[in-house]
Amino acid sequence: MSEWLQQAIARADSIQDGFSDQRAASLALLKDTKWPTRKTEAWKYTPLRAVERTTAVAKEEPAELAPVAIDGVDFLELTFIDGQLISLPEELPEGLTVEMQESTLFGSIKPSRHVFGLVNDVLAADVAVVTVAEGVSIAQPLRINNLLSEGSEGHIRVVVELKANASLSVIENGEGYGATLATAFTEYQIGAQASLEHYRFALQVDDNVAIGGCHFKLLEEAKLNSSIIGFGSALQRIDTDIIHAGEKADAKLNAIYLLDGQELFDLHATVEHEVPNCTTEENIRGIAADRSRAVFNGRIHIHRDAQKTLAELNNRNLLMSNKAEINTKPELEIYADDVRCAHGATVAEIDKKALYYLQTRGVSRSQAQLMLSFGFINELIDQMPNEALAEWVRPIIRDRFAQMEVK
Amino acid sequence: MSNENVLLSIKDLHASVEEKNILKGLNLDIKPGEVHAIMGPNGAGKSTTGYVLSGRDGYEVDSGEVTLAGENLLEMEVEERARAGLFLAFQYPVEIPGVSNLEFLKAAVDAQREARGEEAVTSAEFLKMAKEACKQVNLPVSFLKRGVNEGFSGGEKKRNEIMQMMLLQPKLCILDETDSGLDIDAMQVVANGVNSQRDGERSFIVVTHYQRLLDYIKPDFVHVLADGKIVKSGDASLAKELEEQGYAWIQSEPTEDELED
Amino acid sequence: MTEQIDKALAREYEAGFVSAVESETFEPGLNEDVIRRISEVKGEPEWMLEWRLNAFRVWQEMEEPDWAHVDYPKIDFQAISYYSAPKSMKDKPKSLDEVDPELLRTYEKLGIPLVEQQMLAGVAVDAVFDSVSVVTTFREKLEEAGVIFCPISEALHKYPDLVKKYIGSVVPTKDNYFAALNCAVFTDGSFVYIPKGTRCPMELSTYFRINEQNTGQFERTLIVADEGSYVSYLEGCTAPQRDENQLHAAVVELVALDDAEIKYSTVQNWYPGDEEGKGGIYNFVTKRGICHTNAKISWTQVETGSSVTWKYPSCVLKGDNSVGEFYSVALTRGRQQADTGTKMIHLGKNTKSTIISKGISAGRSNNSYRGLVRMNPGAEGARNFTQCDSLLIGDQCGAHTFPYVESRNPSAIIEHEATTSKVSDDQMFLCQQRGVDPEKAVSMIVNGFCKEVFKELPMEFAVEAGKLLEISLEGSVG
Repeated sequence: MSEWLQQAIARADSIQDGFSDQRAASLALLKDTKWPTRKTEAWKYTPLRAVERTTAVAKEEPAELAPVAIDGVDFLELTFIDGQLISLPEELPEGLTVEMQESTLFGSIKPSRHVFGLVNDVLAADVAVVTVAEGVSIAQPLRINNLLSEGSEGHIRVVVELKANASLSVIENGEGYGATLATAFTEYQIGAQASLEHYRFALQVDDNVAIGGCHFKLLEEAKLNSSIIGFGSALQRIDTDIIHAGEKADAKLNAIYLLDGQELFDLHATVEHEVPNCTTEENIRGIAADRSRAVFNGRIHIHRDAQKTLAELNNRNLLMSNKAEINTKPELEIYADDVRCAHGATVAEIDKKALYYLQTRGVSRSQAQLMLSFGFINELIDQMPNEALAEWVRPIIRDRFAQMEVK
Repeated sequence: MSNENVLLSIKDLHASVEEKNILKGLNLDIKPGEVHAIMGPNGAGKSTTGYVLSGRDGYEVDSGEVTLAGENLLEMEVEERARAGLFLAFQYPVEIPGVSNLEFLKAAVDAQREARGEEAVTSAEFLKMAKEACKQVNLPVSFLKRGVNEGFSGGEKKRNEIMQMMLLQPKLCILDETDSGLDIDAMQVVANGVNSQRDGERSFIVVTHYQRLLDYIKPDFVHVLADGKIVKSGDASLAKELEEQGYAWIQSEPTEDELED
Repeated sequence: MTEQIDKALAREYEAGFVSAVESETFEPGLNEDVIRRISEVKGEPEWMLEWRLNAFRVWQEMEEPDWAHVDYPKIDFQAISYYSAPKSMKDKPKSLDEVDPELLRTYEKLGIPLVEQQMLAGVAVDAVFDSVSVVTTFREKLEEAGVIFCPISEALHKYPDLVKKYIGSVVPTKDNYFAALNCAVFTDGSFVYIPKGTRCPMELSTYFRINEQNTGQFERTLIVADEGSYVSYLEGCTAPQRDENQLHAAVVELVALDDAEIKYSTVQNWYPGDEEGKGGIYNFVTKRGICHTNAKISWTQVETGSSVTWKYPSCVLKGDNSVGEFYSVALTRGRQQADTGTKMIHLGKNTKSTIISKGISAGRSNNSYRGLVRMNPGAEGARNFTQCDSLLIGDQCGAHTFPYVESRNPSAIIEHEATTSKVSDDQMFLCQQRGVDPEKAVSMIVNGFCKEVFKELPMEFAVEAGKLLEISLEGSVG
């Protein structure tokens, strides 16, 4: 067991007096959990040295930070700084409530796979609970900011519940400055015929160690459209779990990772089809340059009863340097016969035909390469439902490419 | 023959793909403003000619010389050939999702203007030019926003090629079976686009299997390519003869390939 | 529909008989003495005994792997007998005439006549019965070409240098739990050496048969194809129908030196256990080949037997321009569990690998593809293409895909695709409407599904494989 984990447990022990049963159970489990190593399947390609060596500490007083401004979008903001809740939206539209609770966890994060889910269970001081009432559509997007100042550690947990026929757009925005450590987990329950538009950005990451995830439970005819865009850092690990718990639910996940330097990024996406007639579409694209390492694991699990499932996963990667590394593992586990499931994964160079085509029009080889790599990523940005967000993120991605090209 | 008045000169060109000889001594001179049609049976090396001239990877020149406006074409990179004024309209243009048509066209025009020492056009000016070009080839302006050729029909892709030609203003255009897969109406749009670019200076190589495109784009010369070289040349009437009699009469003697098979 | 399929799937295991051959069998149990006795019975050189004992010590330190998607009770390694040989083999028969007729009848019943006149011309067979090789046919003809094809126990005496040089060079002792066990206790298997520039004049084939109760089979095969040579090797296996599980833990090592090619085909039909999962063979096999410059290794397997299969025939593409291929059909039914696939390790430049895997699951079985494609930094311009297709028959089975893709070279290209499908009602309806009975229809559809793999099998095996699937699917339609 690592020293870091022992300290985390000691801290939890010191505050456990007010723990709910659920948190107490998590603490007990945490004490029995083995620290992941290379032999732990879920961490096979992702060493935890960055956690073991972190210098980040929990701060008494949160620093003064403001989340990045995004032109053209007027958010409702829920802001955590250095792990502490700083601001709730001032005026809430009717049908939307936000409150802090100690005991509410949906508990959908699997401890077997995620020791940090347990860490978050016990160390996230309060859980922000967001509820959208039945039949209510909230037009204004809700942005959940998780800001960390240099050298600080924070653990946040947000639970979002959309009641039947409700709709909401949520942007999870993580920003860390310098060497920080964060665990951030968000749990969503999307009620019958409700619809969630979801984004998770990790674009200001420096030397962050950020481990967290988004867990979605979809009830009958619920809809999820999720976009995840991340840069690598000392360690970025995101687990998304999508659980189809009601029939005819529909989930779409697009994810992008762009890595440079010695960065590490690990995305684990799991989809559980527990009931019949649901659909899933996943498009995951990544680029690894310099000495970076990308890890993707995409598991689709079709349970015995989940007949008539349609599930597709596509993971495409570009490797830009022979010191960089891409490890991808798309998995299918299928127990129902009347289903259509497929996955594909590629690691390749830029399409040579497209490169030639651009060159025949007079575009230089290096510029053509840049255009094509950007296009490869931009194809998914084009699919983001919120155009203002797409407009905001595009130049950030372009800048990233320009930096990658310089080396 | 005086070199001064020749735009493209191909001398005894031999080229191969995956170590298989495709062009086996191609000779062709094209003067400014001329339209040459290259016809021939499948597998004669028609498309290969366009790829070799444009410098595609994997198309190896084994021997021979090619000059464009007096410059050695074979020593140039693909994009340098384009900037020198060579344009290839593809038979099957590739789709590039994620890269918008407008972005692509602007990058191409910018690169070529810079190479010619011309001033860069502003985004606004360019948008105007692009919209105008769209109109000429009958493509909705919305196509500028879409990914390059992404989800375009066969006819739309061909019209997009002609639009690029209009914007890039090349010296020599090679149309590689631009008529394939087009109905009569679409072919007319393409032909009109090409004809509008005939200005007495710009030259064309029209590669086609069928004669019908040549009803719309009138060639000055027609060449028959068989087994990697030109076996017969003539004026537009040669195309008619081919239409009536097929290629068999040209190939009264079996080609090497056929003997091998 | 499902009911029909189930019916079609219920079938008899045709190779399930027991031969009345008198055997000399060790008492169950595993310790250093047992290993010494195996080595002694075989009259092995001292270094071989040391090698075995070392492997045994290594094995004792290792843990049984649990990562595969299979579930079986813990194996009691002390309850297994590690050596069993027909008594008639004691004084090594000099020719076929001296071989126990009961043994010959056994192979004949299995469709493998060992009498040369009756044999398929062009296939030389090494027949391994429990722990020993009983007969190797066409040896003289092969010797003329300089090809060595003999039991590995014999090779240890006749060609000790060759064996010593290559044994354990592809699958090291420590490679995995079952490989280490095999190193300690292997009893026989085939040895093949193809000299430089030689094209082996006929197909080589080994036929494995487990007969005795409570014995494990631990054979070891070593094939060395010297520079510029070619060999096609076939392997078949069956076992009697018994209620107890029996362990088969083999190791196969292939060495393809520069410009050599080895084609290795397997039709595996070990007893799969009954409908309820009682009995059957635990098939835990390590197969790996190493390709030097411009060499090629092609694995083709048709897996229909065993109650548990754990098998990943792999290629280490060490030399530039070397090629690895893996073509697999795995059919599971009843309570069978298969976790099979391949590893393609690209080290050299412009190395190429192709993986085509077809899994068919029926009954209450579980069928997993598990594979690894790794491009090392030196694998400039390397390519891999992987296609994994699963066909599910009925709604009580499972089909799984676990591919690991690792790339560390930007010029390498990896493409992996996996799909899953079922025998559709529409397909069945069409066949039936045209008068094809449901069983035949399923077998036609499955055969079509597997076509890409079957075409890689040598002719004689392709026919056998097709028939095997047909038998496996008999009464299985819905």
